[in-house]
Amino acid sequence: MGLGALLERVLSSFLTARFPSAAELFRRADRLRHEGRYREAIRLVDEGLRRTPDSATGHLLAGYLHLAVREVQPAREAFQNALTVDPNHPRALLGLARIAIEGGDPDAGRSALERALLYHPDFPEARVLEKMLAVRGAVQSNLAGAPTRPVRPGGIRLAREGRDPILARLDGSVVFAQCDEDQKPVLAQHVTQVVRIASATLARAGLGALRRGIIEGAQASTYLQTDVGLVLALTLPSGTSIADGWSALGRLWADKAKAATESGG
Amino acid sequence: MADRRVPSGKAGPEAGEALHLGGPPPPSRAQQVREILGKLGQLAGVRGGLIVTPDGFVITADLPPPISAEELAALGATLGRELELGMDRLARGTFRTAFFSTDGGAIFLGGSPIGFVILLGDAGAEPAAVSPALQEAVARLEGFWKVQ
Repeated sequence: MGLGALLERVLSSFLTARFPSAAELFRRADRLRHEGRYREAIRLVDEGLRRTPDSATGHLLAGYLHLAVREVQPAREAFQNALTVDPNHPRALLGLARIAIEGGDPDAGRSALERALLYHPDFPEARVLEKMLAVRGAVQSNLAGAPTRPVRPGGIRLAREGRDPILARLDGSVVFAQCDEDQKPVLAQHVTQVVRIASATLARAGLGALRRGIIEGAQASTYLQTDVGLVLALTLPSGTSIADGWSALGRLWADKAKAATESGG
Repeated sequence: MADRRVPSGKAGPEAGEALHLGGPPPPSRAQQVREILGKLGQLAGVRGGLIVTPDGFVITADLPPPISAEELAALGATLGRELELGMDRLARGTFRTAFFSTDGGAIFLGGSPIGFVILLGDAGAEPAAVSPALQEAVARLEGFWKVQ
């Protein structure tokens, strides 16, 4: 190698290290992302996007990283920016679909997924989420207009320390609930959404239909049971033994069935 | 087929970015992550599992065939986010773990700032045994991930 070529190589390495290209910044950001260093990665992506604002890859990576740190609005904007560059970018559409689903807007989620699948029909992540939403739609169609048998609150005996019992249909409508009035729709939406997504996940894993579940939080655990288009959930203090939790839920389920029968009779 | 992380179509090449946004983590860390998942896989009744970021990217997976890691990650991350958001909306504290069972098996899900650990179990997988181990694994994952 001649002296000129050697100098050129050294200078190039120096410049790359001191003034990395946008592509290099995105590569570094992606490495940081794999290490869970999301904030540092975001800074590099921002820097890269200042240099190449029209990089769909940069915007996409920004979207992933903002989702990773649970910053929904910046993630949404990043995916939308990617779509400005490439209007049918399947990954950006998937990102927007995820945001719509977790924001409780399944119609917008379905629309984004359909658009992604139109151009990339063999896109497993989009396909599986679309199927999940299709099941949700079918449940709503089947239940729409079906009579809801009222359950008298007096017919329910709560376990000591149990709270926020709710019996809901899988379309999110409440059959019975004992909690603050303004919390009822939030609780119903959450419980039924969990059942829908968990059901889809279990089905995809080849494990069959969801029967029971426990959601453990730092302050409380929610026990749930589902059957014949209904979900029953009860919240108990954190630290309650699983056996006691199932037992309390079992008693509530039996009471619910009894109360429903009495109300219908 | 849509690539796992490299944008399809013209966007990537036009920007001059041969970027593999789904490449493996550095070996040492990847090895540690695999070990965590491998250890969980040894619990009674656990058939396999995966670790995913909140946006559904598969960090590592060890699943029995023919289960697709990408599909399970997409659903698992969606479920994990719903659990996180629901706990927050209902003021029930930080989401820790969840367990969902069928007549023939179960899934377990542990949450962390990094993402979600998802395990598949058969009918013999006991939540009383798996959930504490899952919480421990999540704590370990967070611990070494924070080391810069």
